[in-house]
Amino acid sequence: MAPLRSLEQEYPILDPLFQTFCALHGIFSVEDFLLHDLYVLAAFAEQEPDSERLKQGITQVLSIIDGQHQPWLNGMELLADALHNKHVLSTGCDGIDLLLGGGLSAGQLTELVGPSSSGKTQVCLQAVSSVAKKHIGNVVYLDTSNSFSPQRVAHFVGLVSNISFDQARHHFLQNVMNNIVCHSVFDIFTMFAVLHQLEISLRMQLQSGDHRVRLLIIDSISSLITPILGGKGSQGHALMVSAGSLLKKLAHDHNLAVLVTNHTVGGEGGVPKPALGETWKSIPHVRLLLSRDRGNKKCTVSIIKHSSMDSGKAASFDL
Amino acid sequence: MEVGRLPISASQRGKLISAGYTTLSSLSSISASDLARDLKILDSEALEILKVASLNNRLDRPNGGHGIVNGAQTAWEMLHEEQFFPRITTSCADLDEILGGGINCKEVTEIGGVPGIGKTQLGIQLAVNVQIPVEFGGLGGKAVYIDTEGSFMVERAMQIAEACVLDMSHYNDLLRKEDRACQVKLQPSDILENIFYFRICNYTEQMALMNYLDKFISEHKDVKIVIVDSVTFHFRQDFEDLGLRTRLLGGMALKLMNLAKAHSLAVVIFNQVTTKYTEGSYQLALALGDSWSHSCTNRVILYWNGDERYAYIDKSPSLRSASAPFAVTSKGIRNSPSNYKRTKMM
Repeated sequence: MAPLRSLEQEYPILDPLFQTFCALHGIFSVEDFLLHDLYVLAAFAEQEPDSERLKQGITQVLSIIDGQHQPWLNGMELLADALHNKHVLSTGCDGIDLLLGGGLSAGQLTELVGPSSSGKTQVCLQAVSSVAKKHIGNVVYLDTSNSFSPQRVAHFVGLVSNISFDQARHHFLQNVMNNIVCHSVFDIFTMFAVLHQLEISLRMQLQSGDHRVRLLIIDSISSLITPILGGKGSQGHALMVSAGSLLKKLAHDHNLAVLVTNHTVGGEGGVPKPALGETWKSIPHVRLLLSRDRGNKKCTVSIIKHSSMDSGKAASFDL
Repeated sequence: MEVGRLPISASQRGKLISAGYTTLSSLSSISASDLARDLKILDSEALEILKVASLNNRLDRPNGGHGIVNGAQTAWEMLHEEQFFPRITTSCADLDEILGGGINCKEVTEIGGVPGIGKTQLGIQLAVNVQIPVEFGGLGGKAVYIDTEGSFMVERAMQIAEACVLDMSHYNDLLRKEDRACQVKLQPSDILENIFYFRICNYTEQMALMNYLDKFISEHKDVKIVIVDSVTFHFRQDFEDLGLRTRLLGGMALKLMNLAKAHSLAVVIFNQVTTKYTEGSYQLALALGDSWSHSCTNRVILYWNGDERYAYIDKSPSLRSASAPFAVTSKGIRNSPSNYKRTKMM
């Protein structure tokens, strides 16, 4: 955390006198404060002339620190949260829904891995149309390869609607499509800025109770991370882990389902494996492998990793 | 937001974190000289860091536009916008049909094929076709042609340009007899003047040009297509560090995508083929590996089928997988003649 003097503006009790007292004991920032033995510090404060103010200052810093961490939850509260807030969103693909026991879970980071042209973007577009239509929620789509196709989404929405009159259908389509927001991002720092903005607006939305954002899709996160991963420094690696933790935090705090796509690279023996390496393996909650048979256009999806189901289960469907 | 997510260099970030500045809020109330003194860096560097941090802070308040994120569009707006971006025809009706009307602007299309199938011919044809005036259904724009292999031939471009002008005046004569005011003013030499040609000799020049293109296109706002022929050439031979190659290619792909989106132009990149051992047999696959596969919006593969040239849509978010024949004639890319034979026999 910041040096103590930057807290002075907000908490006037931490005045220069307090700062000098702390400096005498080698405490310049809040971290130093935490490392110090607080009883010893209080005892020293007793001996100073202005002991009451100094002790108030110590209590103030302690309360600031307390405000930084998430509240403790017990098992019952977690269960209540899971039952009431963490809904399951249908993806629009029956095969995947069946495999995942209903669809994408809010609060979880789901990853779709697959070689090129195996249908990852199509699954994302179907999920977008399904959530925007059925669950009356907003969808935020971050696109790195200009492959967000509004016609395809309109096609999927139109497929399942059974409104016969053109005017009503037009109006319905407009309402649904207005719930889908698409942003193009072409480097990882822009993605962080956009996610940060999303976080702020979600926090404001919580108070207003508008159409809530329910699904966040990043297609594809591997194209944002590959240019910075590897090389001499570990900055790329740190950014990747940071992105993963930010996405999971967004999912949990605001009850979103987050879906990201990844591509495959060649592994040993020519068997393709997911890109982004070993560290990324443990970041998503659910990992699905998609593959498409060129001949008959059937897609197969299998679970590589899931927090509550066996891996290795597979299902196939048509796109 | 964490300081680690700001676009600053690794050493600056390291210094910030070790001095205790880990969040944006801790940087919001400090002056540049204090920061410079704390981190033991120059005043100008501290000013840069604070500028980046405040930029991110300003983005925090979403403007009235879309409540959720700045710079985003709703799908409804995008659906209607698509009507305003005409496609670039390839002069072959069958090919245009499987492409949904032609090459789309705002997208990166990758075209790959064996040597000699007609990639450069298609590239030159597109560079000419983008200049078809708006009255004739084209875009009336200019072209940027980036040549890495040295396969661009000016005489051939002249030939194709002349054929294009001839076709336009035929169209004029046949269909617009009453509207002679719309004469074909375009001359083949004008067409050649509007093709900006860059010759690249190694991968460093290629990366440098990618960085420069944004500025170039901001100055020449008429450019509506960027053709890279071919993108793989300098990355295939003598590249020792494959990790570096993946990173460079990834960065280049994102820059091209950004270019296409920001300036609403079409980007067409050509790729070569290589053999890949999959499922027990050797098959032809596009070069540069799996990680390059997500760098394009659409992918078209050109291949031989007997005596004929065919094009196949391999990857597209909105187009169906289909193939169509085409031919390379003295006038450029045209419909395959065998199609005519088929209709005559019926």
